[in-house]
Amino acid sequence: MDFIVSLLVRFAYFVEHSKKYRRSKEFCRTLLEHPTSKLKFYFDLFMVILVVLSVLFLLYEVKNPDLHPFMDFFINASLVVFITEYLLRLWIYSDSHKLFLERYEYALNNHASFSLFKTLHTIISKKIEYIISPLAIIDLLAILPSYRPLRFLRIFLLFRIFKLFRYARSMKTFTTIISEKKFELFTLAIFAGFVIFTGSSAIYIFETNVNPKINTLFDAIYWSIVTMGTVGYGDIVPVTKEGMVISMILIIFGVAILAFLTSIIVSSFQTKLQELKSSRTLADIERLKSYILVCGYGRVGEVVAKMLHDDGYAVVIIDIDAEKIKLANQRGMIGILGDASKSKLLGQLGVGKRASKVICVTNSDEMNVFITMTARSLSKEIDIIARVVKSYHKKKYMLAGANFALSADETIGLMGSQYIDQPISYAALDDMLTETTGVLFESLKIYEKSIYINKTIATLELREKRLLLFGVVREEVEPTALLTYAIDDKIFYFNPPGDFVIHKDDTLIIMGKRHHINLLKKHSDKRAPK
Amino acid sequence: MKTEKILIFGFTKSAIEISSQLKAKGYNFTLIDNDASLLPQAEKLGFNLKILDYTDDILLEEGIGENVNFIFTLFDDDAKNVFLILSVKALDPSLHVIAITHTKDAIHKLEIAGASTILDPYQISGKKIYKLITQPDVMNVIDATVFGYHDLNMEQITITENSPLNHHMINDIYPNEAYNFLLVGIHDKELKKEFIFITEGFNHKLDAGDILVVIGQTEEILRYKKDFSL
Repeated sequence: MDFIVSLLVRFAYFVEHSKKYRRSKEFCRTLLEHPTSKLKFYFDLFMVILVVLSVLFLLYEVKNPDLHPFMDFFINASLVVFITEYLLRLWIYSDSHKLFLERYEYALNNHASFSLFKTLHTIISKKIEYIISPLAIIDLLAILPSYRPLRFLRIFLLFRIFKLFRYARSMKTFTTIISEKKFELFTLAIFAGFVIFTGSSAIYIFETNVNPKINTLFDAIYWSIVTMGTVGYGDIVPVTKEGMVISMILIIFGVAILAFLTSIIVSSFQTKLQELKSSRTLADIERLKSYILVCGYGRVGEVVAKMLHDDGYAVVIIDIDAEKIKLANQRGMIGILGDASKSKLLGQLGVGKRASKVICVTNSDEMNVFITMTARSLSKEIDIIARVVKSYHKKKYMLAGANFALSADETIGLMGSQYIDQPISYAALDDMLTETTGVLFESLKIYEKSIYINKTIATLELREKRLLLFGVVREEVEPTALLTYAIDDKIFYFNPPGDFVIHKDDTLIIMGKRHHINLLKKHSDKRAPK
Repeated sequence: MKTEKILIFGFTKSAIEISSQLKAKGYNFTLIDNDASLLPQAEKLGFNLKILDYTDDILLEEGIGENVNFIFTLFDDDAKNVFLILSVKALDPSLHVIAITHTKDAIHKLEIAGASTILDPYQISGKKIYKLITQPDVMNVIDATVFGYHDLNMEQITITENSPLNHHMINDIYPNEAYNFLLVGIHDKELKKEFIFITEGFNHKLDAGDILVVIGQTEEILRYKKDFSL
């Protein structure tokens, strides 16, 4: 026995440390279960097509037993796919080697005896737990009738249609709703059962010997269900006065029960709808390659999100107010109802991966600092820009890890005093920064292939191109007689002269209309001749 | 000390920031509020706060006095700002009022009331954040130079009657290699048009009263002003 245990322990450790095994299992989990994976989306689509086609072929087979060889092949191939899928789902449902090692290590650490049978029992129980789950039973019933000795189970082949529940999210929601309202539906079913039983018993008693259509209790039950469902085929009709009274009562109860049933399902759907929308939104976000996350859709959030959205940036908004999210969605942006300070939500949204910038613009400093902290804890590289509500809190934002902390009051102070000092220049600067007149400041990075490398400023003929060079930002610091300013670890050359030579990685800060700047950028990007 | 008479109504966060900036630039101003409980805070911050019931027109008229250049209405409540602008404009329609707004809805009301300029902190913050996202290099440079601690400033130069620049064409006077500054644009007094950026490419004729907006070192601009009798 010890030999077997030691063999199994070795095997479990081998599996535990096998990268290949881990990767394959991870791949299968992504393929079959990851709710937002693209792979799963395509797999589900493939399975839906397979299920629908295989059911259609099976239906065709009812009247045409001699199937075309191609159809036969298709049915067999789809069966192989279904069996493989069933086995893979069984495999990924639990990690047997982990369960085994957990038990073994527990026994080892606590000097307790290790029971191989109990461990195997736990492992097998776990697998059985999957086998008896409703969806797994459907899967199995969709496969079994294809086995010749079990041909009599052919009707269960229709269970393949139920397999669609696995692949369509909205169908899954429907089953969730039904299972969540189990208690209400069960109570209603008991009441309906009671009404049916009373109604059918009464009609059976009153009409068996009078009505030639009601001979058995089954006839009575059939009649009462048809009457309650307000279908009224008319194949069985009461002939006595008592029978007619029972019919009337049954119809009233039937309508009431149907109304109850509808209201239970509809109310449940409404509560579930928000959840469904959120999961759809998450899937939409998953598809974005890169986006900017705006936390808070108040007035500042509205302005930033609108400008970025109009510029073609992908923007995702988080707010705890459902009304604001509704508004964001109406404006064509992706809105998520949730608390941006929760690490789980930011992690789900891909902060630091697909979300490269986070803007914290709620109307509370506590919340903005907390969101900043949460985002920073998720990624060191991400750019965090926060709005400071009370200017004296600014330092806390920097401590929390914000790249920029912007105080509206400080800006107002600066602009207000500048307005007094120089109203015209204030207006000009404001126009350029807010781009209200179409003239703006923009940067032009000189990349490796730019044709402007080693050219002088004069050769750019900026004046002729209706542009004004504010200055050049250069990374390397070199002695110069020109007017320069240190900005972080770079040097800014203000209004450099015509003979100033442009280097690789310089950034030109240019003023002008957007299309003139774009023309210059386009020109700069032309590949430099070798 | 500069001579402009500036009144700031409402002792709020924005008022404190504007007052600090004005103080640093050497402006003389009066802070006014109707809430006496703000006095200790004002004293603590080193401001002289005048308590005045601005809803009383007689007291307001006395409080404003004569020769006021600018009035700021910086209350946190838009209704108070609108009411104050109406009161001030009723006393003297020519007064220059700069108002702050806290809701989108109030902007139009402040305009109708007669505010000359409306400061919208939410718009300003939003647009600044947008620039930081889309053009971080530009904002870094502007913040460090024009807005920041360096001596690079955006200033306006008014063309005087006696200046040698009077009646000259813009293309004749700019660029001038003897002076290191940038001409951003011109505000034409006669045409009362919007600000004309230099990049528009118009060769404008300068007249007395026209305003040139330039960016450069303060001393360089002063040198230019002196050399051209501006």
